[in-house]
Amino acid sequence: MKVLLVDDEQKFAQMLAKRLELRGIQTNVFFSGQKALDAVEQGNRFDVAILDVVMPGIGGIELKRRLFLLDSEMKFVFLTGHGSKMDYAAVAQEAEHYLPKPLQIDVLIETLNRLAEGE
Amino acid sequence: MTESPNKFPGAMWPRFHRNSDEHLNPYHTFRDYRQTWGMAIFVLMTAAFLPLIIMTLIDYQLIETSINTEALLRTERLTSNARRAVTFFLEERLAALKFTVNEMGYDQLTNPGVLSEVLRNLKLGFGGLTDLSVIADDGNQVTYAGPFNLEGKDYSNQSWFMECQRHNACVSEVFSGYRNVPHIVVAVKSMRADGRLFVLRATLETERLIQALSSYQTGEHADIFLITRDGLLQTPSRFYEGKSNKVDIPLPAYSGRTKAKISTDRNGQPILIGYAFIDTEMAPTSFILMVVKQKAGMMKVWLDLRSDIFWFFVVSAVILAIVITLTSTVMVNKIFQADRQKAQTMVMAEQNCQLASIGQLAAGVAHEINNPLALINETAGYVKDLFTIKHQYKEDPELVEHIDSIIEAVGRCGTITRQLLGFARQLDIQIQPTDLREIVGDVVNFHKKEAEYRNIAIHIEIPETIPLIETDRGKLQQIILNLVNNAFQAIENGCSLDVWAEMDGPERVRLFIRDDGCGISEDHLNKVFEPFFTTKKEGQGTGLGLSITYGLVQKLHGDIIVKSKTGQGTTFVVTLPVKINKDNQT
Repeated sequence: MKVLLVDDEQKFAQMLAKRLELRGIQTNVFFSGQKALDAVEQGNRFDVAILDVVMPGIGGIELKRRLFLLDSEMKFVFLTGHGSKMDYAAVAQEAEHYLPKPLQIDVLIETLNRLAEGE
Repeated sequence: MTESPNKFPGAMWPRFHRNSDEHLNPYHTFRDYRQTWGMAIFVLMTAAFLPLIIMTLIDYQLIETSINTEALLRTERLTSNARRAVTFFLEERLAALKFTVNEMGYDQLTNPGVLSEVLRNLKLGFGGLTDLSVIADDGNQVTYAGPFNLEGKDYSNQSWFMECQRHNACVSEVFSGYRNVPHIVVAVKSMRADGRLFVLRATLETERLIQALSSYQTGEHADIFLITRDGLLQTPSRFYEGKSNKVDIPLPAYSGRTKAKISTDRNGQPILIGYAFIDTEMAPTSFILMVVKQKAGMMKVWLDLRSDIFWFFVVSAVILAIVITLTSTVMVNKIFQADRQKAQTMVMAEQNCQLASIGQLAAGVAHEINNPLALINETAGYVKDLFTIKHQYKEDPELVEHIDSIIEAVGRCGTITRQLLGFARQLDIQIQPTDLREIVGDVVNFHKKEAEYRNIAIHIEIPETIPLIETDRGKLQQIILNLVNNAFQAIENGCSLDVWAEMDGPERVRLFIRDDGCGISEDHLNKVFEPFFTTKKEGQGTGLGLSITYGLVQKLHGDIIVKSKTGQGTTFVVTLPVKINKDNQT
């Protein structure tokens, strides 16, 4: 399974990537939406994208739309840090899967596995 | 709560007079309701009384003037009529003498037989004559016919004779003369064939004149009499007959016409005086006809009217005063109460605002905490991963334990931030299926630390059979939070708090929150849901918590009751519908 992780919180993203790697999940980390888009445009393929909702520049929701245009088979998991009502509402419209920060790694792994298996 | 209202006036007294809700005052429209009340009464009274007083005074004045005018007119008419009678009485007799003189001449009249015949005829024709005499120009009486023996008397010094010399005729005052009987002399002057003058004199009985006058006397308060221009009484008077014959009322100035005026008598009583100077065509007289009416007596109608007006005024004034006072009191009280409600709403709104601010603060705190928490979580997780997945430090259980405690702490932080966020969202959340157990758990979690610290045991017992209830989650959370807060404030350290629920029929759920704290005394028990009721010291409690709770329960179509015994604790029972009928939602 190949995972695309996009979060502007760099240390958090790196740490999470390491934990996923430890569990045998190949993870590419990007700290901004634009860089992630560039990577996908260059032909990199990912099974699942883990996106932070609130990011400077291209936000998680916008990023999902654009990634979906590039690769319609990609699955998405959102991370909501702020937990504000707007966050939830926006995410609820765009994705079935969202997880609040701080994360429970087991739940994330389980979600990723389910998505990768195509539910 | 400060002043005890007096028993009777207290019941009548408007509420704003015992207003003690100081904290509401900043929100009141008017500062001082007592002053407003006073002003309202003053302005209304002025507006009502001023026209009433002015109208009454004008009415008073008008009626008095018209009654006075009417009385003066009547007096004047009476005087005028009496004057005509007196004048006619004198003129008739003067004319008769004139006729006799012209018809018969000096020679015939000096014949005593003829004179007696003339006297007899005059008595028959006019009456009121006593005797007749012919007097020569030197004042000596030439012939006399009549009952008294007055032949040869000399009248040259008598005032009437001298008066007669100056005019063609004369009328004397009432006097007794030689015969010692009051009488009036009327005389006419004529010329003999030899060119010398002579006078035909007749004496008139005053009785006839008095009779003529008294026929004009109307009512017991009226007096009619003749006086001379010196004020000597000539005919009997009801009011002014005294030791001297002089009347003691101010003598009027001469006037050719009948007049009437208002004056005062010797006692200072108001009187109406009608007067006329009596002049005949042939000769002036010294008589003044006086009509005197006592105003007090004849003004009874006016006095009655005046008292009617006075009582009308007093009764109107009393009714107006009562109506104005009552109306003002009721109106100002209504305004006061409306204003008070507004103020209470404002305070409530302020309270809600504070809650909203707390919510925003909570959201802000959660926001700031969440990212670092997420990082701690991942870092700790990674360290643990190193232990467990890579098996490098598998043999070191102590390290694993420490890291687990980090993760556990982070988990707890996460729970708290989630609860804070939930609290922030509750203010505008709609009706949704709500798990009572979860909410009670959330709320009690807020107090976990305090409970541990204070050694308070919390027992929650909400059976699985309680279904999800459709209600406003946020409001329910606030209700439970308020009640639990309340219980925590009421109990001592080491006491316990029980929260349990049961079904009340298939449609309703009952939630019990019981503490074994100090309890609520019986006289406070029915006041606990009133806004601003508090037993805490000033500044330590708003007294709003339970009243807000009550309002929230009402909003959720439920009800809340309280059972308590002093020293044995308090139980609040909230009954909620399992499903709110949205059509009836307020």
